[in-house]
Amino acid sequence: MDNNQNVSNANKRFKVNKNTIIEFLIDNSLYIFIIAAIIAIQIISPMFLSIPSIINIISLSAANLPLALGIAGCIILTGTDLSAGRIVGVVACVSASLLQSTGYANKMFPDLNTMSVYTVFIIALAIGGIVGLINGFCTAKFHLHPFIVTLSTQLIVYGFLLMYLMIGNNNGQSISGLDSSFTNLITGSILSIGETAIPNFVWFSIIITALMWFIWNKTKFGKNMFAVGSNPDAANVSGVNVTRTIIYVFTLAGILYGVTGFIEAARIGSNSAATGLNYELDAIAACVIGGVSFVGGIGKIRGVIIGVVLLRIIFVGLTFLGIDANMQYVIKGLIILIACAIDMRKYLVKK
Amino acid sequence: MKKIITGILSIMLLLNLAGCGNGKSGGAHVFYYTYSDTYISNVRAKLGDSFNKMDISYHDYDSNGNQTTQTEQVQTAITKGAKALVVNVVNTGSDDAASGIITQATKADIPVIFFNREVSDKVVNSYKNCVFVGTDAKEAGHMQGEMIGEYLLNNYDKTDLNGDGKISYILFKGEEGNNEAIYRTQFAVEDANNILVNAGKPELEFYDISNPNKYLVDKNGQWSAAAANEYMSTALTSFNDANNNMIELVICNNDGMAEGAITALSSVGYNTGSKKMIPVFGVDATDAAVELIKNNRMTGTIKQDANLMAETIAVITSNALNGKDLLDNIDKTYIDKGVAKVRIPYSKYLGQ
Repeated sequence: MDNNQNVSNANKRFKVNKNTIIEFLIDNSLYIFIIAAIIAIQIISPMFLSIPSIINIISLSAANLPLALGIAGCIILTGTDLSAGRIVGVVACVSASLLQSTGYANKMFPDLNTMSVYTVFIIALAIGGIVGLINGFCTAKFHLHPFIVTLSTQLIVYGFLLMYLMIGNNNGQSISGLDSSFTNLITGSILSIGETAIPNFVWFSIIITALMWFIWNKTKFGKNMFAVGSNPDAANVSGVNVTRTIIYVFTLAGILYGVTGFIEAARIGSNSAATGLNYELDAIAACVIGGVSFVGGIGKIRGVIIGVVLLRIIFVGLTFLGIDANMQYVIKGLIILIACAIDMRKYLVKK
Repeated sequence: MKKIITGILSIMLLLNLAGCGNGKSGGAHVFYYTYSDTYISNVRAKLGDSFNKMDISYHDYDSNGNQTTQTEQVQTAITKGAKALVVNVVNTGSDDAASGIITQATKADIPVIFFNREVSDKVVNSYKNCVFVGTDAKEAGHMQGEMIGEYLLNNYDKTDLNGDGKISYILFKGEEGNNEAIYRTQFAVEDANNILVNAGKPELEFYDISNPNKYLVDKNGQWSAAAANEYMSTALTSFNDANNNMIELVICNNDGMAEGAITALSSVGYNTGSKKMIPVFGVDATDAAVELIKNNRMTGTIKQDANLMAETIAVITSNALNGKDLLDNIDKTYIDKGVAKVRIPYSKYLGQ
């Protein structure tokens, strides 16, 4: 065993010495590509790196970051979470319906006074957390693959969402007319750079990211999560409660979807059954681009942030360049594929 | 233990199924292309009310945007003994889906009422017990274009923020490959341009000359507020007052997208209900849009009358169930010549 390790290490060192530059270029080709792309876009469309545009990229990223951080935990457990987008949808619609301004003509619950934003925030977290708890419980207790569990909860949550939209005097319409206490809290601004206001949800997102960094890196739970992700049997033998860790990871993810849904409700201002659709796919893509690996036990907060921001740069950049939507799919697909191939390559070399 | 639990669960499931069935196998079976569409949900609620009022038993299906699902649902409904099929067909790109449904219905001799999503004249004419209730897809686009043109003529200088004599616009398209979206995208601009040119004004100019499509499309095909919101806030970063190239007009394929655009505009201080406002136009006249127009945050929309649509479908269904001619008691001015297609008229809505 030791011998093998030494041989492979020696091989690796030899290879690295021989092809250092090529290795470096391949390993970092994604970053090189991004920098090249940014420069190219900037040359063609000089407003790309203006302050308003950068703040726009940051705020679009911030809106998706909590969701991606939640899903990243599931991916580290070699799982996934297909229910994320629908949880965002249901939380957004429930939050919006409870926070419509009093006297709004098409209020879903006309007799309901606008509730306190903070109460609704707790409700949002609770809804997300409960669905996450169910995901985690079924995954851990019944030894089901999260793909199957979350596929089921995705459908169940969507069903409840459709039912929810038909109650009151809403008739399936989109929910808007939000109270200013809600929109001010989320999309209002306490800080502007130049003329451009930074929406408050950017700060929320930063706080959550810091919190998640702490949880992943500094707590016992975080370490357990990585241990279970890389090898559940080994983790079990060394005294980690695997079941509880899985349940916690999914519940935490659910709570983060709750945050995303709450922010989304005010950010978009119009909430319907389509809210949140396919959000999980973008988030999963962001995670894998950022090096959170489906192999399990591998991933960094930094990577998730890079992945989310990169996808947003692609979106904004291609919009700036006026590139056809059909082509955007192709480009996005290629980037995900290449990023993952490079990532896997690094991992195989290590092995 | 396990066996007991399984047993209890299966009994519950059976009871549940029986509960769903309601014992109503006949009556009208209504197939919606997707429950997630806001306008269609509104029609669904209103149609349910109309059926209840007329004492018609009915059963709703969600095809969830999938033609295979819908075709299988129709098959099942026929075997269950449906007396009328009310179909909001999923695939409108070709005749195959609709004529497949007609073939099944013809065998079982059940009337078919297509609605909202258009089927071709050939399909409707292929079966004597078939009608289509919908709108004229082009009409919404033409009407929106006319509304925009007229609005601009009356408010040209106010709208032309940078005073360069031209109006720059942004346009949000709901999805690719959908006729309604295509016509609205095309005619909203063409018709507005006609009116402007006739009055000696220059044509509208797309805000971003590097975009050859002259529209931005929801890539998920959901006509969603979120897509419009993200495009709008991105566009506003380089096209704004500070650069003296502010977007001066917002045209949306539907009201949901208009709402998303307005949210983005209000984050930079526009369309908050004060005088500082970019004209925003949508289609559908959803409750939310009507409210926005009332609060002076949106300019106009095209009303697609869900109520009248639902009532018309209910009347035709009742005719079908009572063996009358399908188009009895329907306003003759709404009916196309030579084909059994009922067109519910659109109307402009600029607030009361």
